Amino acid sequence: MNTRIDKLITAGLILYVVAVFIFVFAPIITSMIFSFNSDRFASIPLGSFTLHWYETVYNDPDVWDAVQTSIIVAVSVGILSTFIGFCTAYTDYRYSFRFKNGYLVLALLPPTIPLIIIALAMLAWFARIGASGQIWSVVIAHTVLCSPFAMAVIRLRLQQIDLDLEPAAWNLGASEWVAMRYVIVPFCKPAIVAAMCLTMAVSFDEFVVAWFVSGLNKTVPVIILEILQGNVDPQINAIGTFVFVTSMTLVVIAQLLVTLRSPKRSST
Amino acid sequence: MAEAQIVFENVVKRFGSVLAVERANFKVHAGEFLGIMGSSGCGKTTILRMLAGLETPTEGEIRLNGMRLNEIKPADRNTPMVWQNLALFPFLSVRQNVEFGLKTRGIASDERKKRAMQWLDRMEIAELSERQIHQLSGGQKQRVALARALVTEPPVLLLDEPLSALDANLVIRMQGVLTRLQKQLGITFIYVTHSQSEAFAMTDRVIIMSKGRIEQIATAQEVFRRPANRFVAEFVGSNNILDGRVTAIEDGSIVVDTNIGAVTVVVSQNDDFKVDDHVEMVISADKIELSSQPTGSTNEFRCSLISEEFIGSIIGLLVETTNGFEIKIQKPHHELELHNLTEVGTLWFSWNLDTPYLLPRDA
Repeated sequence: MNTRIDKLITAGLILYVVAVFIFVFAPIITSMIFSFNSDRFASIPLGSFTLHWYETVYNDPDVWDAVQTSIIVAVSVGILSTFIGFCTAYTDYRYSFRFKNGYLVLALLPPTIPLIIIALAMLAWFARIGASGQIWSVVIAHTVLCSPFAMAVIRLRLQQIDLDLEPAAWNLGASEWVAMRYVIVPFCKPAIVAAMCLTMAVSFDEFVVAWFVSGLNKTVPVIILEILQGNVDPQINAIGTFVFVTSMTLVVIAQLLVTLRSPKRSST
Repeated sequence: MAEAQIVFENVVKRFGSVLAVERANFKVHAGEFLGIMGSSGCGKTTILRMLAGLETPTEGEIRLNGMRLNEIKPADRNTPMVWQNLALFPFLSVRQNVEFGLKTRGIASDERKKRAMQWLDRMEIAELSERQIHQLSGGQKQRVALARALVTEPPVLLLDEPLSALDANLVIRMQGVLTRLQKQLGITFIYVTHSQSEAFAMTDRVIIMSKGRIEQIATAQEVFRRPANRFVAEFVGSNNILDGRVTAIEDGSIVVDTNIGAVTVVVSQNDDFKVDDHVEMVISADKIELSSQPTGSTNEFRCSLISEEFIGSIIGLLVETTNGFEIKIQKPHHELELHNLTEVGTLWFSWNLDTPYLLPRDA
C-alpha cells in the first residue's frame, strides 16, 4: 500500500520537475528552433533549415559593435566585481568588528533593489558627474550589481576553510600578504573563477541598467531590443541563441567549479 | 648560568572578561620535552599560541633565548607548530607542504626540494612526496605535519594535541617517533595534551593546568607520587584522597581519623602536626594490597567489590568500605587470578605505613 503511494508521489515529483523545465526552457528552445527557420514569421509548420539569420547578424556592424562592447564590459565587470567580492568576503571571514552585520547587509544590498531604480539612480548620478554614456559607465553600474554575487560565491568557499590554515602559514614564516597569496587565494581559486564566470554572465545578460546608462555604447541586450522595436526580425532568435549559449556556458562552468570541488575538501 | 631558553614571566591572557591564563611563571630549558596538560578550556593551548605569536599576552613577558617575544609577529619567530587538526594545505602536494616554511624564507627552489626530501625521507614517507594530502592516512599526515614544522630546523617545536585524532595503536607508534626525534634533534618540544598517558610517557616535565592556573610543574613521577595539591591528586585519576583530623601524635607517625576509619601515617620529623589538624592524604591505587583474609596490618579495612575495569594488563577495581566509602585499587591481572580475589564476597585492603602522601597543608 505504502509503496504504491510512494511510487505515485515519486512519479508526481518527476512530472513536476519536468513541467518546470518545460516552462522555463520552452520559450528559449522555441527561439533557438526558429533561428534556423527560413520563414520570416514564427509559425508552424516550419519552413526549411537556414543559417540566413545568423549570416545577417554576422554581417551587421551594429551587432558586432554591441558584441564587442558587451565582451569588454563583461570581462571588466568580471575582474572588478570578483576583486571587490573577494575583498568583502575576506573581510567578513577574517575580522570581527562593530556593525559587521550592517556592513554585510550593505554589501549584499544591490541585487535586492529594483533594477529600474538602480538604473535611474545611476543615470542621474553619471549625468551629474559628466560620465554618462561611456563604456565604463556600464562597467561601473554592472560592477555595483555583480559584486554581491561574487562575494556570495567566495564567502561560501571561505566558510569551508580550516580556520587554522592561515595561522599555520604565519606560523611557518609567511607574512599576512604572503599567506594571502599562497594560502587564501589558492584555496579560493575555484570560487574566484566561478565568481568571475557568474558575474560575466550576469553583466552579459543585463538589459535594464545597460539600456539607461550605455548611451551609444550599446550592449547586446540593448541592440536586441532596438532590432525588435524596428520590426519583427528572426535575427533576434539568432542573437538570442548566441547570448543564451554564452551565458549558460559561463554559468555551467561556475556551477561545476563550485560543486565539483566540494567532496575533495571534506577529506582533507 | 645562562637564562633558560623559554621564560614566561607573570603572563596573563584575558579574552574580554574571560581569564584564559592566570599569571603563568615558568622556564623551559633548551632540549627539554615539556608537557602541558589539563582538561579542555584550562588555558594550555593559549600558552602554546602565545608562544607562537598567535595570541598576545595581556600582561607579562615571554622571552625566547633572552629576547622579548611579545611584539614579534608569528612569521618572525621560528616557533613552528604541529596543529591539532594538522592544518596541512589541501591544495599543495606533500612535498610542497613541507617546502612551505622554506619558501616563505626565500630559499631557492632546488635547495627547498632537497631539504624537503631529506625530511620526508627521515619521516619515512619520501615515496609519498608527490601525493595530495587527501590521499594520505592519518599517520602519514602526521608525519607530513612534523616534517613541515621541522624543515626550518627551529629551536623549539610546539605540538598542540597532535595525536588526538589517531587510533590507539598509532598513538603509541607516533609517541615513539616523537620521543626519538626529540632525542636525536636535541631541540625543545612543548607538547600540549589532555592525555595523561601521552604526557607521562614522553615528557621530561609536565605542567598541570586548571582554569588558567598552573597547578604544578614537575616530572611525571613527581606529579604521580607527590601531587602539589588536591586538584592534581584528583586529576591524576588513580589516586584515593582521604580527608581527616589528627587524633593522636606518636613518635614518627600520626593517627588520622578519616572517612573510612583511623589511619596511621608515617611522618617526617620536620612535619609539625598538632592534634585536630586537618590533613588530606593521597593513597595511590597501585599501592594498595588486597587479600581475601585479614592479615592484621595496621591500616586494614574490610570492603566489598563493586566493579572491575580492564586497563590493559592492569585491572582497576572499585571497592566499597563497610561505611560506604569507595576506594580505587589497581592490580595486575595475574595477581587477581592467582588468588581468585574477584570471586570472593568480602575482601580486605591495606597499605604500608609510609604509603600515604600528605598533601601540603597550605594548598
